[in-house]
Amino acid sequence: MMDPSAYLLLSGILFGIGVAGVVVRKNVLIILMSVEIMLNAVNVAFIAVGSHLGDVTGSVFAFMVMTVAAAEAAVGLAILIAIFRLKETIDITELSVLKW
Amino acid sequence: MAPISIDAAALLTSVQSIVPEIIVVATAIFVLLLDLAISEEKKHLLCGMGLLGIGVALFSVYALGQGRIEGFSGMIVHDGMGAFFDVVILSACALTFLMATGYSEWEGTHKGEFYSLILLSTSGMMFMAKGTDLMTVFLGLETLSIPIYVLVGFHRNRMSSLEGALKYFLLGAFASGFLLYGIALIYAVTGTTKIPVLATMLYDPRILASPLFLAGTGLLLVGFAFKVSLVPFHMWTPDAYEGAPTVVTAFMSAAVKAAAFAALIRVLLVALPGMQPVLWKVLWGLAVLTMTVGNLSALVQNNVKRLLAYSSIAHAGYILVGLVSGDVLGGQASLFYLLVYAFMNMGAFGVVMLIAQKEDEGYDIANLAGIGFKYPALGALLTLFLISLGGIPPTAGFVGKFYLFSAAVKNGYIWLAVIGVLNSAASIYYYLRMVVYMYMVTPDVEVAVPRPPRILFSMALCASAVVVVVLGIIPRSVLEIAERSVLSLLM
Amino acid sequence: MTGPADVIFYVLAALTVGSAIFVATLPNIIYAAVALLFTFCGVAGLYVLVSADFLAATQVLVYVGGILVLIMFAVFLSNRISSVKLSNPVHFRLPAAAICLTLFGVLAYTAISPAFVLKQEITYQPTTARIGELLMTRYLLPFEVASVLLLAALIGAALLSRPDRPDIPRPDMEEPK
Repeated sequence: MMDPSAYLLLSGILFGIGVAGVVVRKNVLIILMSVEIMLNAVNVAFIAVGSHLGDVTGSVFAFMVMTVAAAEAAVGLAILIAIFRLKETIDITELSVLKW
Repeated sequence: MAPISIDAAALLTSVQSIVPEIIVVATAIFVLLLDLAISEEKKHLLCGMGLLGIGVALFSVYALGQGRIEGFSGMIVHDGMGAFFDVVILSACALTFLMATGYSEWEGTHKGEFYSLILLSTSGMMFMAKGTDLMTVFLGLETLSIPIYVLVGFHRNRMSSLEGALKYFLLGAFASGFLLYGIALIYAVTGTTKIPVLATMLYDPRILASPLFLAGTGLLLVGFAFKVSLVPFHMWTPDAYEGAPTVVTAFMSAAVKAAAFAALIRVLLVALPGMQPVLWKVLWGLAVLTMTVGNLSALVQNNVKRLLAYSSIAHAGYILVGLVSGDVLGGQASLFYLLVYAFMNMGAFGVVMLIAQKEDEGYDIANLAGIGFKYPALGALLTLFLISLGGIPPTAGFVGKFYLFSAAVKNGYIWLAVIGVLNSAASIYYYLRMVVYMYMVTPDVEVAVPRPPRILFSMALCASAVVVVVLGIIPRSVLEIAERSVLSLLM
Repeated sequence: MTGPADVIFYVLAALTVGSAIFVATLPNIIYAAVALLFTFCGVAGLYVLVSADFLAATQVLVYVGGILVLIMFAVFLSNRISSVKLSNPVHFRLPAAAICLTLFGVLAYTAISPAFVLKQEITYQPTTARIGELLMTRYLLPFEVASVLLLAALIGAALLSRPDRPDIPRPDMEEPK
């Protein structure tokens, strides 16, 4: 196995890409995907370090992160679908009320 | 492979340490099942059932006492601090349920899912407040957040509700990413996620100097800052608070804040006292920024819900002042203020909920006009909660702020206290503006007829008022409990 | 000294980072979702490389099999969901890019700085059994809290996405008599 700092660097790059995606993109689904990239970056760090230390905590933590990611994705998409339903009936083209 | 041996005694202690949480989760599941069994007209039973569960949970916190019970191999602890926050969170939850008796009738939230999600969120908060491992804290945080995302969007036929939910969800998930990356970096340096072990690791100066560790702490703070809505990580708060069903807004403002601060206090006071020399500057800046931006934005709001949202941001700043001090005095003041804040803010939301006839338009400040003389009880209650939020004696809000700022002064952060007092003075302007509307503005149209309060709803308002007044006059015993709670943390 | 494992690492790293960049930049949402597939698979490959066998399998099952399918499903269910845009004003882009670059710089610096994590000689073993054992012992509480969390997510997702008036029976959802 390589030095864990190589993995940490990789995970830092991935995390940066995820953050950039969230901040710069407008499309909600792409933002959601970028968040998933961030969580993957976290998992790479956890697992690489855990494996390097011979400690399973990292793996267990990553496992929990995956669980949470799945739950978040389900709830997030449910919110999107609810918005889509409403848009279909009252037809707004953009979520303009939402101010950043 | 050898079978896993189970230490029955340890398991029993472990279960003991989370009895209140187990009761809350069990109630949540029971309410959900009960929803299937009862007819549409009897849905108020769900609320009663929830209240019963919360009552039992509160009793179990009392029965467990303030002794230290560690459970699940150092994952969670029931100590004075945990008990204190259990009481704050459960009280906020109980007030929410009491108010929901009326609100659900008006807005159609008499649903098993509604109550069940509030209870599940409550359990997450309690896990978060008592977690002694960053893994427990993280899972508690997510267990509290996910139901709240859904609850914010509960009015599925209102765009503002869904938009608030979407925005809160996206920024919440984003913040979780930061929090997790912070934990991952801390784990990379120290090889542990246990908060007490981290504390011992920090005696090693090499770790304190490690850039990985500093970056990890920074990211962890950013994650927490999002959750307690510190400036500049507060963008979601006004929209989520405005869009959410008002009873959920009240719950969020009191309980989520308490839980997130509980975990933050635990991390700062237990794990990171070694970093105090660096940390206080960061927290100082965040506190000043949060108070100032929150109050200045609140000055120009005309929607009462939005105004209270910005005021809640400002209050997060005041509470942070206690953490800058980083000692027992400051911690004690923060704990006391979180308790008081839960009651006065929920009380204010409760009255506002009664005055507004419906969601969205009902929350314009002009709607308050003339209420004061026509409905003296409502006017008096709202005035009481608002002057408490503004920090005017003889209310609990004044005592809380007094202790927060005097802790800052005693630790030598005089400028911070000065800025805090100035901010507090500025905030009185917008709180009194609402009072002025109630008593001195003649309404253009007929005075809005408030919703007739239900008995339980009135009980919630009266209980909040009593707490605000009593703690304003005789705060001593609660302050002592808060002090013991912080001390239990440092043992 | 580079061995075959190092070469594989670089290939996987390039695949992961490259496809992640595509996700964050491609305008077409379906292409982005496909790129995300490669990111997930690349990460799974990295897990294999650090001999985290259980997590690699879970990564494929949960991310590729669950989350990605969910996202794809949402994309195909209605093309108009993908048109839900946030009013994210353009003038935020420059500061945003600056923040990201700073963040990246900090993270890169911290990652290559000496972390002095204890170096141990470990012989790699399958981790699945060990993880399973720990989930039932030391990490029992997080495991249970996660189950509460999943319950909440289940209730919430069902509540938000079910048809508008559940009290009115719909003909297509009734059981045939």
